[in-house]
Amino acid sequence: MSHINVKVAAIEQVTDLIKHFTFVREDGQPFPVFSGGSHVVVSMNINGRIQRNAYSLMGNPEETEAYHISVRRQEKSRGGSVHMHDALKVGDSLQITFPVNLFALEKRARKHLLIAGGIGITPFMSQIADLERNKANYELHYAYRAPEHGAFSKEIKANIGNKLITYVESEGGVLNLRNLLSKQPLGTHVYVCGPGPMVVAMIETARTLGWPENHIHSEQFTAPPSGESFKIKLTKSALEIVVPPEMSMLEAMEAAGVDAPYLCRGGACGRCELEVVCTDGNLLHHDHYLSEAEKAAGKKIMPCVSRAKCDLLEVVL
Amino acid sequence: MERGYWIRSKPVYSALVWQQQANAHLVLVEGSAGGLAAMKLFQQMLPQQSITVIYETEAGGADYTAALKKVVPDDLQVFNSHDAAMKALEAHLPEALMGLRIYVAGSEKFMWDIAQIVLHYGVDDADIAKELTGTLARSVYCVHCKAITHNAHTNIQACSGCGKKLFVRDHFSRRLGAYMGLMVDAEDPGQIPEIEEIYP
Ligand code: FES
Repeated sequence: MSHINVKVAAIEQVTDLIKHFTFVREDGQPFPVFSGGSHVVVSMNINGRIQRNAYSLMGNPEETEAYHISVRRQEKSRGGSVHMHDALKVGDSLQITFPVNLFALEKRARKHLLIAGGIGITPFMSQIADLERNKANYELHYAYRAPEHGAFSKEIKANIGNKLITYVESEGGVLNLRNLLSKQPLGTHVYVCGPGPMVVAMIETARTLGWPENHIHSEQFTAPPSGESFKIKLTKSALEIVVPPEMSMLEAMEAAGVDAPYLCRGGACGRCELEVVCTDGNLLHHDHYLSEAEKAAGKKIMPCVSRAKCDLLEVVL
Repeated sequence: MERGYWIRSKPVYSALVWQQQANAHLVLVEGSAGGLAAMKLFQQMLPQQSITVIYETEAGGADYTAALKKVVPDDLQVFNSHDAAMKALEAHLPEALMGLRIYVAGSEKFMWDIAQIVLHYGVDDADIAKELTGTLARSVYCVHCKAITHNAHTNIQACSGCGKKLFVRDHFSRRLGAYMGLMVDAEDPGQIPEIEEIYP
């Protein structure tokens, strides 16, 4: 995958848990323009181990001098966000991928209904820039736990006024999905990004109300869960690689020098899909991409988030 | 028709079935056969959500208005012209909400006229339930003069725009709601194969 070398130009503490990073290019060239909802994958070197995390670009897609991401500190994760928060300094160098959009706005929509939970606000930051420029009909519904968690709500309010509707849980604010989704004009598309249960609830509610699948959009990147160590065998390259407990299959393959495909690294896009030849144990699927039937069939695995409870798993690569 | 051969763009229609997951229902039917299709739909069950039925009757055919009045609980609108029925549809859509399920039974012209209207409201034709009833008559798009000739029953149809004899193909354009028509004697002027009724 081709990369862009960037430098950290600014770091801003937005809330207790969220930091906003501004990147500029090392070579001084302009960044490519992107479309609202795009993400980049940031590679970081954590004590010699390379970790790659996907973050939504939250700046204006037409601004090419800088890229912006926001990172929520996840204490329970494998250190990527903690590294970004504690180790990264202004002037540090990093590598990012070119932007990829897995959460694009549907141009033909008559109305866009954006629903964000917590840090799930970030992909919408670039989308609202696009929507404002195109004078599109939209609303942004933004739910978060307490006022101090409402990163960017002031800034967004200043930009889009009453198209922003906030729900602050600690102040008794409740986002009633059924109410909201049952009064949308024909031709509306809904987009959700936030914690897993919220995404699932939105999709289920929309389906129950008869929204067609192609009007329902979600983005949910799962951090790869850790688990027990197991060994994988790649049939084409005849390599055998041990996946340690705290690494994903994808990371273990990359650490062994294998150039495996990926886009989201969060079990959403399907790009990393590998064909399973055999295993002496069970596959542990953690992705949102494969259907239940495909998961049960055990012929495919998404190595960016899924693992196996076995001694040996053989895949085609 | 060649056996085992299937043209991807040719639409496939099937009998109407209520969608249980819905916010409201809109049923549009044309002619006697369409009226009967609506009756069949109401035989299945009576959905919980609100239902509107737009019925375009057919001069001289069986009229299911009285029968439908007995089974349609909320809103039955009956029209004796195509324009009036399409106007009623246009009037219904601005206030319609997401989760409206649309069901159509009638000729291909009827259903694709509707598909084009609802497309302006962001509804994909794939999300409309369509049952072909009454006739297999085709709309034909002349690739030479771009006119659309409706109601073609034969394998070869004279273009209403340029008068060319068009061979009616199986290739269908969802945007135009018509099958492609190509001049049949382009290579051999005057050589017209036998004309047969194949779309009764
Ligand atoms: S990289 Fe997207 S599902 Fe694995």
